Amino acid sequence: MEPGVLQASDWGFILANWDTLVLGVVVTVLLTATSLTLGFGLGFPSGAIEVYGDGWLANAVSTAGIVLRGTPIVVLIVLFYFTLPLPRIGTVPVIDIQLNAFIAATLALGLRSAAYQGQVFRGSIQSIGEGQLEAARSVGMTKLQAIRHVVFPQAVRRSLPGFQNEFTIVLKDTSVAFAIGLAELLTRAERLYLQPGRDTAVIEVIITISVIYFVLTFTTNRALDYVHSRYAIPGGTQ
Amino acid sequence: MSLLRVDSVDKSYGNEPVLHDVSFGMDRQQVEVIVGPSGSGKSTLLRCVNRLTEIDSGEIYLDDEEIHTVDENELRRRVGMVFQDFNLFAHLTARGNITLGLREVLGLSKPEAEAKADDYLDRVGLADQAESYPAELSGGQQQRVGIARALAMDPELILFDEPTSALDPELIGEVLTVMEDLAEGGMTMLCVTHEMGFARSAADTITFLDEGRIVERGPPEQLFESPEHERTETFLGELTGLHQ
Amino acid sequence: MSADTVDSAVGTIRGRKKVVAGGVGGALWLWLLARWAAHNTLLDSIFTAIGLPDLIRSEVRVGAREPWIPAAPFEAVADALDSVAAAVGPLEFLVEWLAWPFEVAAFATSTGPALAEGAFITVYLTVISMALGLVIAVPLAVTRVYGGLISSWISLAYTELIRGTPLLAQLFFFYFGLPLAGIVGSFEVMNLSGMPRTAAVVAIVAFTVNSSAYQAEYIRAALQSVDEGQLTAARAVGLSKREGIRHVVLPQGLRFAIPGWTNEFVYLIKYSSLAAFITVPDMFRRARDIGSDTFQYTEIYVVVGLCYLGLVLTTAMAMQRLEDRVAVPGVGQSAGRE
Repeated sequence: MEPGVLQASDWGFILANWDTLVLGVVVTVLLTATSLTLGFGLGFPSGAIEVYGDGWLANAVSTAGIVLRGTPIVVLIVLFYFTLPLPRIGTVPVIDIQLNAFIAATLALGLRSAAYQGQVFRGSIQSIGEGQLEAARSVGMTKLQAIRHVVFPQAVRRSLPGFQNEFTIVLKDTSVAFAIGLAELLTRAERLYLQPGRDTAVIEVIITISVIYFVLTFTTNRALDYVHSRYAIPGGTQ
Repeated sequence: MSLLRVDSVDKSYGNEPVLHDVSFGMDRQQVEVIVGPSGSGKSTLLRCVNRLTEIDSGEIYLDDEEIHTVDENELRRRVGMVFQDFNLFAHLTARGNITLGLREVLGLSKPEAEAKADDYLDRVGLADQAESYPAELSGGQQQRVGIARALAMDPELILFDEPTSALDPELIGEVLTVMEDLAEGGMTMLCVTHEMGFARSAADTITFLDEGRIVERGPPEQLFESPEHERTETFLGELTGLHQ
Repeated sequence: MSADTVDSAVGTIRGRKKVVAGGVGGALWLWLLARWAAHNTLLDSIFTAIGLPDLIRSEVRVGAREPWIPAAPFEAVADALDSVAAAVGPLEFLVEWLAWPFEVAAFATSTGPALAEGAFITVYLTVISMALGLVIAVPLAVTRVYGGLISSWISLAYTELIRGTPLLAQLFFFYFGLPLAGIVGSFEVMNLSGMPRTAAVVAIVAFTVNSSAYQAEYIRAALQSVDEGQLTAARAVGLSKREGIRHVVLPQGLRFAIPGWTNEFVYLIKYSSLAAFITVPDMFRRARDIGSDTFQYTEIYVVVGLCYLGLVLTTAMAMQRLEDRVAVPGVGQSAGRE
């Protein structure tokens, strides 16, 4: 069979199934949000621990980071899915996803993101000159006060471009949850063209979801650019 | 009674001796200038006084209290410091740089801290720059904020670590003026500087430090006009020639 | 930077971790190279020609290949521990925990031959795609920085579109969407023995396109970091703009791009695993198949995860060496930590 490229009837097919794709987008956005939240929540402390922590804790965090950054995301996702004793809690109504698959994907994407965000934050902390800490201590602040009021506020700002990068990576990699059949955008798209007689629509479907992914990454990046410039330190060169 | 008394202080980094048997004392409202070639241990000596660097042996007394018996944060509140590279908090405005310590260390309320910060900014001639961030200020303005930040903590003594060395020549004057005003106002100051004009006009005592030892110490007239040691004469001669 | 620290693409590896990663990674590579050689068609024909027909066995099907390290000793230890476990009552789980690594080790040796075959594909997918990607990325980056309004905009659109969409969608686009597999399969050369499957060729196309966009982005940033005066100086000695870019800007810019480029290399090793979803029998696909045959999902994914980790860490460390070696003294090095 010759796949007719870009047939009008195939675009009609996509239009008729817009609700499926919208649900896919909802799952993709949800998964991105939960993963990034987890990554942010764990990444910050782990970056700080790697800089200021001592002994086994810093060592454990750094080792875990290397393992998470050195393993393909698809391996992490299937590993969490098949290994964690997540009960088949059931499905979420409306968006129709397996909750245990969603949790496994969140853990895999979130923990890996934490490992990268930790690196970003660690680098930012280390880029803050020693003089800033000394100046804070020389007016009598404790080390903890100095870190909290002087180092962290600057490190967080410097981390923003790195976090922005992380956001794009996580959003795109939610598609890898396809490996465990989680009904996010890509999985639903595949289900569409796998329907009998719909294989002519493959390219149209893939172009459509690619455009959706692109719009999502592009608009969010522009929004984060705005946040970055909004909170930049006036006159500062970053 | 001396405000600051440094007694037989030794300090080395690894096998590299930096300070050797350094002893001196200074009274309240005195201005002491430390001079010496680079690597002579001047900055290290300063940093030992507020314990940014710990000494190996000897004693340092502030107001007759050995500084290692005092809580280090309490000590640093009482001993202000002005840095060569200003070290202003990059994410805070000029005012914010001053209020941070006032609020976090002294526990002042926000309005109190801001009023006090504005007062000190006014004293260093920067009342109109309260809202500016460090990167928006010139080097000289930044250093004046640095001085105001140290002053606002009501310290008993301020340490100046080469406060004008990182400045373009045309900006040095405004900082020295502030420092001279402080000296006249009775502030106790321990300064490491190469500004011989300032040393001559404002210092009560000059200490010449070389290779970690005090070579000579005395009033400016003595060191400039009739130094006991040839090394002192050579060094001060070069420094004065360089800056005039 | 001290000699026992590596600031690699996956993080700072220092001290004992570096020794372990280097040692285990090195052993993994030795074993992989030996396995690949032992079943290599080309080597087989050479050794058969010189009278050693049995040394290299390329005709053995992957599924029928024998592991070199016997699983029996590991199984024995695991079994022994399990029998102890039954006896100790409430602490049973502890002993079972202890036995688990031995079970995994036994499983790893028996699945080794299949994973090694998959690793070969993983490695060549990565290496070929990186190399081809670089060939596209350099003109793409130069166009973006020095090209006219339209050509630089096209370059920008290409990189942004590729970087803004998931790799898996791109793989599906090339494999299911375009009739690429059919075209590739129609070439006579594809029927020769030793040629990769058509799916693998499609994967290389997709990875090349994908990595070219990322590589172009690293190179663009690097080119822009080359001081403008360099090109001016080149023009001043009489070089044309093109020659100036070629002989002055690019040699410097490409050096600046190396840290980013090595990052991309490590990324692609990991992301090449997605080729499994267009039927390429790479290392991940082998693992997935073993998983669904044996239902030992946890074990096989732990094993394959460790294999990827070994490949990634050794590559990252080797790349760091490369970076140190080609660095121009005093140029392009990140500022030392204060």
